[in-house]
Amino acid sequence: MTDITVYRKIPDNVAAPTPARPRVLLIGTALACISAIMGLGSLVAFYAAVRQDVIQSGETWLPSGVTIPLTQPNMMMLTLWFSILIMVWATYSLGVDDRSNMHIALGLIVLMGFGYIAQTMFLLEIMNLGAASDSRASLIYAVIGAHVVYMAIAMLFVAFMGIRTLGGDYSARDREGIYAAAMFWYVGVFLYMIVWLAIYITK
Amino acid sequence: MALTETRPETQPAQAEALDGEAVPTTLIDGVFGSGDHKTIGRLWIGAGALMTLVALVVSLVSAIELIDLEAFAIFDDGDQLTQAWSLGRDLLLFGGLVPIFVGLATFIVPLQVGSPSIAFPRGASAAFWSWFVATDVLILSYLVNGGPAGGKLDFSILWVLALGTMVVSIGWALICIATTVLAARTTGMSLERVPAATWSFLVFSVIGLFALPILAAELVIAYLDLRYGFLPDKASRAGLVEIMNGVTAAPAVYWLGVPVLGIAVDAIGVHTGRPVRFHKPILAAIGVFGFMAFGADFFSFDFRGRMVAADNGMLVVALLAVMLPILATLALAGESMGKGKPKVTTPLAAGLLGGLLLLATAGVALAAVVDPIIGFIETLTGNDITVANKLEGTTFNEGIRAMMMGVGLLGAIAGVHHWGHKIWGYAPEDRLGLLTVLAAAGGTVLWGAGNVAAGFFDQLALPAANSNPDDILQITGIVSVVGVALLALSGVLLVLNILGAAAGRLNGVEPWTGATLEWATDSPPAPGNFPEMPIVASATPLADLAADKGDS
Repeated sequence: MTDITVYRKIPDNVAAPTPARPRVLLIGTALACISAIMGLGSLVAFYAAVRQDVIQSGETWLPSGVTIPLTQPNMMMLTLWFSILIMVWATYSLGVDDRSNMHIALGLIVLMGFGYIAQTMFLLEIMNLGAASDSRASLIYAVIGAHVVYMAIAMLFVAFMGIRTLGGDYSARDREGIYAAAMFWYVGVFLYMIVWLAIYITK
Repeated sequence: MALTETRPETQPAQAEALDGEAVPTTLIDGVFGSGDHKTIGRLWIGAGALMTLVALVVSLVSAIELIDLEAFAIFDDGDQLTQAWSLGRDLLLFGGLVPIFVGLATFIVPLQVGSPSIAFPRGASAAFWSWFVATDVLILSYLVNGGPAGGKLDFSILWVLALGTMVVSIGWALICIATTVLAARTTGMSLERVPAATWSFLVFSVIGLFALPILAAELVIAYLDLRYGFLPDKASRAGLVEIMNGVTAAPAVYWLGVPVLGIAVDAIGVHTGRPVRFHKPILAAIGVFGFMAFGADFFSFDFRGRMVAADNGMLVVALLAVMLPILATLALAGESMGKGKPKVTTPLAAGLLGGLLLLATAGVALAAVVDPIIGFIETLTGNDITVANKLEGTTFNEGIRAMMMGVGLLGAIAGVHHWGHKIWGYAPEDRLGLLTVLAAAGGTVLWGAGNVAAGFFDQLALPAANSNPDDILQITGIVSVVGVALLALSGVLLVLNILGAAAGRLNGVEPWTGATLEWATDSPPAPGNFPEMPIVASATPLADLAADKGDS
């Protein structure tokens, strides 16, 4: 083993390096978000490719009797956009050490997440599209299901970080956990925009 | 000073310092419950080496059968042969070589960046165990007639789920590694100062995090395909076999070469006694190589059956350009070879041969898209292969894959021997290591050459291959068998060496030292890695230390 204590002496003419900030959770979350974007993006890309093949063969994409109403998807979009504002409220509140407001905001985020999932379930119900009824149905379910799973994880992440803040882990001086949860949530909203366009709007 | 958010669960020395009593650990909680990156790294390396050996033996058996496809001396039919071949391929990549690199990175990266632990230690531990269980399930799915060419649908679905879990687990481990490099470096350790190996592991991880989700998405589609039977034009079991083409065909498979370059550069710096001078250009070259490996594949994105396609301009340009960063890395690191005092050691030999064979592989892959070379081969063989795409579906890509697997194995051998003493406290036997390197290098060349040559003689790759009446194809088959046999031999020697080091029956004296931070710790390092968090001011802190001592 080499003695490294001598090495700790830095020459006077060398400026002291800026201490690195602990951003482990934030960076880890960013990497996970990249993977999620690639994964869901690949599913949507494959969905688009198969859809194009079907349409080019002269068939209609959606099986007969299946309709995709726009009310629910648009309401989900509005809900998730609104949740971004609520998340900003949560991060701002933590920044000024207003934990009461932060927890109210995080609670609303989770509630909106439940709203999104419930709305998705309702939409799938009224679309008259059984998961196993048709090959195209299973593909639609795969894309939508992947996003629902992502949002469920995001809700757990937000709730977990909220609990940790309650336990004193995060404050105005260290907002990393809440920022990481917020980033994960924002990416979820972004991914919904892709799903919304690819499946609900383009049909 | 950089900190990780969560400390490892088991740090007995620190616990002792806090409350004055050592925390007793048993083998079970020390292994199964450990969040210590050193324990997790050893587990990845050991399991990966064992799986590599299994994969090579299975590949050898299927290669023997491939010599004469009409005889079926070992297997009953083509489906069984495809199963064995597919098991060898899946296991070698995601069960063997990638896990060894993940293990090396999990062990070495925190030491090289001066961190007391890996980021998300419990996550890193969970990633290993979920991968381990999934790998066992994958093998089991083959044994019960599942797998891509299996006869039982439920067990084919099990294969999809197991492979998917392996991919997700590896991705999870890569997040821990990349986060450690990006966020847990010690004071003064900027990204441009991290050792080449750590940098290559970062590039490897980031590319993996971009590419593996694509494979995971393909597996989701494959599951739906099997479960609900859609995709009429692509739904055959052959489609399942081809899913892995996305990560085993050039240039995507070059991903495996990224850590090989980094390990080779670190080994050159240590075993020539002269740290590499062109540190930043080397980091840039490794980064560019990684981008080429992923970028070209990304632009040539197709759901299945990706091959070296001459009509894909981006792919052709990338295949041409990918040789430049490999050449640059080897040439820049080669300065140390010229001006230093190279010693014939296993890490140096394995690293150099790995790098050179990586270059050769890139060159061979290029041959498929350069018309003059195709024309020359056409003249030589008398076969009409003017259109380069005719190589699509042949064993040509198998040859590229085989060579990259060999390159990966050489990189793994280099890493295991280079840091062996640091990992186990006992160095693997170097002379045995040199024999391992010779077998691996010879096997790489022969396995690759046999398949590439057969591809030029229109031999179709599995699962389409059903006969090879030509004598010349039997000769190429024999060459391939000799190649895989040599690689399997090197796998046996590697496992024996690891077992010897892990059991503490080999050399207990640290055989060499370097200028990067991992050499400033005990072998193996104590919990927390460093008695004090080091502060660094260059890419070679221990060389600076030696210079300081010389001055004083």
